[in-house]
Amino acid sequence: MSVAGNLIRSARFRAEREPDWRALEIVLAKAERHGVGALSFEEAHALGTLYRKAMASLSTAREISLDRALLAYLEALCARAYLAVYAPQQRLGGLLGRLLGTGIPGAARRLWPLILAAYAILILGAVVGYMLFLADPLWYQTVMPADLAGGRGLNASREDLLAVIYSGEGSASDQLMAFASTLFSRNTQIAILVFSLGVLACIPAAALTFFNGMVLGVFLALHADRGILGDVLAWLAIHGITELSAIAIACAGGLHLGQAVLFPGEIRRRDALRRNARDAVKLAILAGMMLVAAAILEGFGRQLVQSPGARIAIGIAAGLFWLAWLALSGRRTR
Amino acid sequence: MSPPAPRKEEPPRIIEIVPPEGVPIRFDVAGLGARFVAQLADILLSLAAVIAVMALLFLSELIPMTGLVTVGALLFFAIRAPYYILAEILMNGQTFGKRLSGLRVIAVDGRSLSPHAVTVRNLMKEMEVFVPGTLLLTSASLSWPAALLLMAWISVLLAVPLLNPMRQRLGDILAGTYVVTLPVPILLPDLADAPQDQGRFNFLPHHLDHYGRYELQTLESLLQANRDAMGRGAAARHDDNLRRVAATIARRIGYTGRLDPDAAEAFLRVFYRTQRAYLENRKLFGDAREDKFHRSQGGKSGPRGG
Repeated sequence: MSVAGNLIRSARFRAEREPDWRALEIVLAKAERHGVGALSFEEAHALGTLYRKAMASLSTAREISLDRALLAYLEALCARAYLAVYAPQQRLGGLLGRLLGTGIPGAARRLWPLILAAYAILILGAVVGYMLFLADPLWYQTVMPADLAGGRGLNASREDLLAVIYSGEGSASDQLMAFASTLFSRNTQIAILVFSLGVLACIPAAALTFFNGMVLGVFLALHADRGILGDVLAWLAIHGITELSAIAIACAGGLHLGQAVLFPGEIRRRDALRRNARDAVKLAILAGMMLVAAAILEGFGRQLVQSPGARIAIGIAAGLFWLAWLALSGRRTR
Repeated sequence: MSPPAPRKEEPPRIIEIVPPEGVPIRFDVAGLGARFVAQLADILLSLAAVIAVMALLFLSELIPMTGLVTVGALLFFAIRAPYYILAEILMNGQTFGKRLSGLRVIAVDGRSLSPHAVTVRNLMKEMEVFVPGTLLLTSASLSWPAALLLMAWISVLLAVPLLNPMRQRLGDILAGTYVVTLPVPILLPDLADAPQDQGRFNFLPHHLDHYGRYELQTLESLLQANRDAMGRGAAARHDDNLRRVAATIARRIGYTGRLDPDAAEAFLRVFYRTQRAYLENRKLFGDAREDKFHRSQGGKSGPRGG
């Protein structure tokens, strides 16, 4: 049966174009298996041309053909080709470089009012916790979660507290353990919770941050009461500056998401969420990186460095490093 | 002819995307079952990686037995989160589990899937799947208000994709992505291509005025059934069907020529070809016909059956 002799339009249409579709199938299979980057120049060129031809065929076939087998085939072929042609072609290195160089610092700079607000909530919580302890030390037991207090209950003596602060250095395996367990500590869970609760609205995220500040406050107040505020501040500073900043930043990301839900403006909430997620997620990644850094500082650094001065210096240096990176990186690239 | 009753399953969920070429492309939304299988495969894969690293650590005596659980949990997190993100960026919206069950992540707006979208949907997966999952595993030690809170959280998270027509998780909504099934392009032979018995049956215009697109395509799917792949019983039923359909069509269109029971398939093929040529011709003149009740597309008038 020759092509010319076949009188049905749609059958003629199919016979004329089928070789192109088959060729597209072959290039497509290669592109899907090894990525578009693996195609030679001719193949990549053919992929683009054949894709557009197939799309034109699909458009025509929908108009003229009643052949369901043909329509189903073209729908599937075009859908797959579309995915291959418009596949993202990113290099991983460039991606990471952009994220660290401009993406994260840019997001942090754009959202600095929120980050400041988160810090303010945290500090306010700490002040309230401190005041509560001064008013009545029994608040300590109310605010402080039992698992976090460890041996540092309300009845702990000055010597008990000092022993925790200056606990000696352990073996390598102990430090790995300490690293793992601190990374899985309450603060990581809080950071995740604070961020994701932001989606539901700002209030839970802010409240949780505030409460976390209160825990910090009563903790400090307990040590101040025993006259070792300086030692505990140094003990906290080495990792705490990084860790508490991570919580504040996670909170700022959550607040940014919450803003989208509370104040979507002229667009749908779903679109507002999508818009705000761009920066909020970068803050979440930043908070994650800072939590890992804090866990390293706590698991290894605090065991190795016992002098209060050195502890404070390392903690402040880490804080300055974050600040310099976020404030300065990628300013001129745009 | 009596078309087989349309199966009563939930209607297919279709996503239509308009690429820059301007021709809309359709995808089927992935079913929850397929997504669950993909998820399970990915979890098993990352667990295998964790166990391998743990075995190494254990053999090198870097960790004591007591710390195994903590370090393992940490490793699981440290391997799984980058795995999902990197796999979906590098494999264009597929993890190995998704490849296994033929799924793919696509962007809502028809453009290519951005690394940002992939990161968002997988970070949200942490809090949508893994954090509540881990908490659920340790739920025995939770106080009852915490357990209640956890149940509320989980039910909200489950409700989002179930109530959503496009089956989007919260992460999908935030990232602007859909999970779809990859269509498989299979080109069945063109039935109009092989009219060996063209001269045996002759249909006149008034014979062809009875049926529309729906009946034609139903007939097509009957004729496309692969007889070689059937068992003996099924093949016999198929032949029986062909004979009955041929007889029904001949009666309804008022065909007066000879119709042997053995020639049923040849009769149907020639009829299919002639009817399709006729309908396509009318379509060309703007007189598209949806089915034998003269229904226009999307219309609801007229009874169905017989």
